[in-house]
Amino acid sequence: MAEWGRTTLEMIVEELQRPVRFDQSFDRRLMVRVRRLYREQRKRRGWLGAAASITRHPAWAAALAASLIGMVTFGVIRVRQGERVVATNGLEPVQFVLVAPAARSVAVVGDFNNWGFGDSALVATNHHGVWSVTAPVRAGVHRYAFVVNGKQWMADPNAPHSSSDDFGMPSSALVVEDSTK
Amino acid sequence: MSTARAARGLLLIGAFAALVSRAGAQDPRASLRLDAPSKAALAAVIDSARAQGLPTEPLTEKIYEGLGKGADGPRIVAAVRMLVQDMTNAQRALGTVASSDEIKAAASAVHAGVPAVELGKMKKRSGLRRSLTLPFTVVADMVSRGVPVGTAVDAVRSLVGAGAKDKDINEFQRNVKEDIQQGASPAAAAETRAKTAGGTKPDGELDR
Repeated sequence: MAEWGRTTLEMIVEELQRPVRFDQSFDRRLMVRVRRLYREQRKRRGWLGAAASITRHPAWAAALAASLIGMVTFGVIRVRQGERVVATNGLEPVQFVLVAPAARSVAVVGDFNNWGFGDSALVATNHHGVWSVTAPVRAGVHRYAFVVNGKQWMADPNAPHSSSDDFGMPSSALVVEDSTK
Repeated sequence: MSTARAARGLLLIGAFAALVSRAGAQDPRASLRLDAPSKAALAAVIDSARAQGLPTEPLTEKIYEGLGKGADGPRIVAAVRMLVQDMTNAQRALGTVASSDEIKAAASAVHAGVPAVELGKMKKRSGLRRSLTLPFTVVADMVSRGVPVGTAVDAVRSLVGAGAKDKDINEFQRNVKEDIQQGASPAAAAETRAKTAGGTKPDGELDR
C-alpha cells in the first residue's frame, strides 16, 4: 500500500527514526539514579568493592601492571604452556632421578639450593624404587649430589662427574640451557 | 582516589617486594657455623676475587657446599682459595669474552688437570657466540673418568670445531661413559666416539 508514493515499510522506519523528546531534567535524574545504584552495590561488596575500581584509574592500572611485571621477573609467577613449565626469569624445570630401590629417603642438594643448608634440600618421591623430584633451576652450570637415607652422599650416575674440590664427597655437574635463547 | 585505598595498594605492593627480596636472601645461619678466622679469611678471598673481576657466586656456593658436607672452616677456606686460583687461570686463558658460567666450567676442567691454555685455544676457535660451558664440563668429566687429558681435549675440540651442538656433546659424553662402564679403555672410547658424534664424518674427517 502506498501513500504519496511511500510504502508502509518506509513509513514505519521513519517513525522509528524520529527523535524522542525528553524533558530537560532527564539527564540529571538518570545520573542520580546511576550514582545511587553504584553506592548500593559498593556497600554490598564491602572492602573488595574497592578493588573493582582500582584498574579504572590510570595510576592504579600502572601500579598493578608494575607489580605483575615484578612478580614475573622475580619468578613469583610463572607462565604455564601446555605440559611444560616455562620459567620467565632464567629458571628451567629440571628433573632429578635416582634408581635406588633399597633407599628409605632421597634428597637432592646442590649449589642451586645452598647444598641443603637451612633445610632447603629437595625431597624426592618414590615410585617403586625410582626416586624423582623436579625443581626450577637457573640456566647455567651447576654441581649437585643425592643424599640417600639422610647421610650417604652420592653423585648422579647418569650425569657428568664434577671435578672440583668435593670435600671428599662426590658431586655431579649439570648444565641447564636457557630455553628462551 | 582515597587515602585509604592508596594505602591498601602500597601495602600490597610492599608485601610483594618483601616476598621477592626474601626469596633471594641467603641463609644467615651459614655464617654462624664458621669460626671467626675462617670468616675473615673468606671475606678477604672473596674481596680479592671481586677486585680481579672474577664471578663471586661460585665462591659463595663453595662455602655452602663445605658447610652442607660438614667441612670445617680451614678446609672450606682452602677449597675456596683453590677455586679462586682455578678461576683466575681459566679467566686469563679465556679472556674477557668468557661468561661467568664458562669460567666456572673451565675452572672445573683446570682443577681436573686440563691446561687452561688448551681451553683458551678452544674458546678462540669456537667464536664469541658459542658458549663452551657444556664442552668444558664434558672435558672435565672425561678426564675424571680416566681419559688422558690430550685425548679428551682433542675429542671435544674436534666436536666443537665440527659445529656439534650441546645435545650432541651430551650424547658423546653418555656414550663414552657407558663404553667405559662396559670395560672399554677410556682413551679408546673417547677417540672412537668422537669420530661419529655431532655430525663429524667417520675416520676422523671433520665437517668444517
